[in-house]
Amino acid sequence: MNGQLYLTALFFFFHLGVSSQTLITGKILDEKGQALPGVNVFIKGSFDGTSSSIDGSYEFETSLQGKQTLVFKFLSFKTQELELNCEQSEITVPDIQLVELITEMNAVTISAGAMQASDESKSVILKPLDIVTTPSAMGDIMGAFQTLPGTSTVGNDGRLFVRGGDASEVGIYIDGMKVGNAYGSTAGNVPTRTRFNPNLFKGTFFSTGGYSAEYGQALSSALALNTKDLSIRNQGDLSLMTVGGGYSHTLANERQSITASANYFNLGPYQELIKQNLDFEKAPESWDVEMAAQKKTGKNGLLKVMARTEAGGMKLWQPLPGSENRVFIDLKNNYTYAQANWRSALKNDWMIFTGFSYSKNKDRITYDSLKVERESELLHFKATGIKDFSDRFSAKFGVEHFVHPFSEKLVKENQSRAFNDHETYLFTEWDYYFNKNLVLRTGLRAGNSEVSDETWIDPRISLAYQLGEKGQLSVAAGKFHQLPEENYRVLNQNLKNTESNHLILNYLYSKEGYTFRAETFYKTYDQLVTFQGTAQNPESLANMGAGYAKGIDFFFRDRKTFKETDYWVTYSFVDSKRSFHQYQTQVQPSFAPRHNFSLVVKHFISPLKSQIGASFAYNDGYTYTDPNVDNSKMNSKTKYFQNLSISWSYLPKPNLIIHLACSNVLGRDNVFGYTFSPSTNDQGVFESIPNGQLAPRFLFLGVFLTLSKDKTANNLNNL
Amino acid sequence: MKKTILTLAAFLMWITVASANDPAYEAAMQKQIKAMNSIPDLATSQQVTNGFLRIAEAKNEEWLPLYYAAYNQIIAAFRFEVDKDQYFDQAIELVRKADAIAPGNSEITALHGYAIMGKLSVDPASRGQEMSPQAMQLFGKAINQDRDNPRAVTLMAQMELGMAQFFGSGPEKACGMARMALEIFEKEEAKLTESYILPTWGKSLAEEVSSKCN
Repeated sequence: MNGQLYLTALFFFFHLGVSSQTLITGKILDEKGQALPGVNVFIKGSFDGTSSSIDGSYEFETSLQGKQTLVFKFLSFKTQELELNCEQSEITVPDIQLVELITEMNAVTISAGAMQASDESKSVILKPLDIVTTPSAMGDIMGAFQTLPGTSTVGNDGRLFVRGGDASEVGIYIDGMKVGNAYGSTAGNVPTRTRFNPNLFKGTFFSTGGYSAEYGQALSSALALNTKDLSIRNQGDLSLMTVGGGYSHTLANERQSITASANYFNLGPYQELIKQNLDFEKAPESWDVEMAAQKKTGKNGLLKVMARTEAGGMKLWQPLPGSENRVFIDLKNNYTYAQANWRSALKNDWMIFTGFSYSKNKDRITYDSLKVERESELLHFKATGIKDFSDRFSAKFGVEHFVHPFSEKLVKENQSRAFNDHETYLFTEWDYYFNKNLVLRTGLRAGNSEVSDETWIDPRISLAYQLGEKGQLSVAAGKFHQLPEENYRVLNQNLKNTESNHLILNYLYSKEGYTFRAETFYKTYDQLVTFQGTAQNPESLANMGAGYAKGIDFFFRDRKTFKETDYWVTYSFVDSKRSFHQYQTQVQPSFAPRHNFSLVVKHFISPLKSQIGASFAYNDGYTYTDPNVDNSKMNSKTKYFQNLSISWSYLPKPNLIIHLACSNVLGRDNVFGYTFSPSTNDQGVFESIPNGQLAPRFLFLGVFLTLSKDKTANNLNNL
Repeated sequence: MKKTILTLAAFLMWITVASANDPAYEAAMQKQIKAMNSIPDLATSQQVTNGFLRIAEAKNEEWLPLYYAAYNQIIAAFRFEVDKDQYFDQAIELVRKADAIAPGNSEITALHGYAIMGKLSVDPASRGQEMSPQAMQLFGKAINQDRDNPRAVTLMAQMELGMAQFFGSGPEKACGMARMALEIFEKEEAKLTESYILPTWGKSLAEEVSSKCN
């Protein structure tokens, strides 16, 4: 009896089940209560569902019965679910409000002090390709960065000078690992270049201040270069240039790739043809061998290894002011850099990174009768972990350790001095999105140095706010420490950290094809190294210097207005004064011209398969001390600096590039300062020699050929 | 042990066969494919993508719904005024999911290349160097996986044509491939039935490339 009733009931239920339909209706809104069209609404595990219409409403029928889960799914919104009991013929679901997910695409980003160069980020200022195609850069990374706001051109140096800071105040990192001696060693007045080939990198992050707690030991700026991930195909790259040549070969598959390259440069033949203002006994010459490998580990891990070794040198005669005599300089350099790093995403939204880097630089310099050997090593270990607690809140934790031996030797006298520092750092950084228009970043970095016997803490903070659709405003402030340069530390191991404080206000406007950026800053310096005597022979070193830098800079890039034309304009104003080195009073440093302007234009001419480019740089001149005027320091200023460079890249075939470039085409005689004789001549005048350019112009011709056995093309031909 | 594995394998095969013959799934797919072939505006395109995504949610062992959702996003990015990068990125994500279900499928590989080609078209001057070899490689891989996939050959032809135009060289290579693609399309058409839900698109694209050849 009971069983029969059950069966009847079951039959009845089943019957009801197939015949009845439930109409489900409702409305979907966003957080502000606005209708949200296009949302996918469906019953979990079935094909029944629909999309919300323009007014956010939806309706659909289902034949499913009983307890069901209604799902609301829309890209970049949090998915919501709702339990339903499908018993009635019509169900009106209460209004659903979907919460937007905060993603890199839709949220404000902190842009104070930061300039990114990559193909991915939306606030891109410079693309990787720009580095090789900026005419004045001559293929050098720093040359391209010198066209960005906040930098100043110091033509006889070649390194990066940021906002009244000297070149040592820029920390250079590859994949987050510190690079010791990133620039080639050179003699005075011969401009140097970055040791690394721009083709190694897929993106860069350049900060002119207020940067992340991840970076330290840099008072002014952090430049983070990110190497390429897995290479995509086997290929060989051959380069032939007026100054040398090289070959690079890549082997790749889906899990790993390796690139090995060798280059040789010799400016001798070039200098034979084009007269130089300096008398070279032996023109700059160098060779390098480099290897970079990448390997996927597990599902989402990537291991990168890189190693490079190089050697080079030059011999030249340096004139002495007020004398017929010249000084003979012989420079030999050996450099090795190696690093390995591994990053991987773990479960529970953890991302980890570990790495080590090692650099060793050895200079052997003969200066007249003096023979000096200088050796610097830097070993860096680093581990970081990033945890995303939610789309609104993430934290980064890190630990770093540096081993840093430095030694200097007078070879003939057999005298030497050295130090060996161990530094340890801990840092943490917390990002909190109040909503997609407002983000706060707080960071803390603590450090300890064995040699200087001190411990310090650097707090940092940034805030960014979205202004309208395309604009954003950010502020950043922070404290920064940097141990003095090696050549001073080795003389006085009691020297403490130098210090700076940054305050930055930034406005960024970016619209498809256009970027406008304005930034104003105030920076203070304290504990800078001062000494008595001369730069060559400093005495009584102490942390007595202080100063400031303040200013404003503008950047505008337009890739849209003119067809096939891309240009950017930069203007930076810096007012900087500091007491440092031999200057006991606050003076404007010679490396900080007040007005800096640059313009880069590139135009693609399709019928000629060519890109022509021009870059123009200007600054209002460099300060120097003229003992003929009065006793005060930095009492004079050189004439303005100006350089117009042009280039022509011709692509006759997809795999062949011919690049011709000429710097300073107008042949302007730029002077960067003067060297004065230490004593007056018969007429009571200190004689001087201008520090100028090696030659009025530099001409470059390069042919770059890519050889690749394109497997796909071969296969297709066989089809 | 061996027996257990065999049983398990047989069981899994049975599941695959059974689900392939799921009439509700096939009907739902046919309905969406039909809707996809006549999309007037962006809102309808979104509805069709959503439709495929619903099927993908319910039948998470099938690669086709994800494939079509990705394809529809790519087409929408080319046709309508949208944030193209975002649409192509979404398509790539869907392709990855489909690839996890059916690894080594030529259609999925070709579609991945199509999405990369889309991203490349947003900014050819600065993305060409990195992305054109990526796209070419994926098309080549898709052809290797199935030599009778006309879409892989068509996309490769279009890529070759684009490169020829960019570098100002002749379209001969592209034309040869387009002709080849058209031949494969004819073979494919012989197989088509009412209930055919596998990809069939691409013929007009091949015709467009080959029209540049006279």
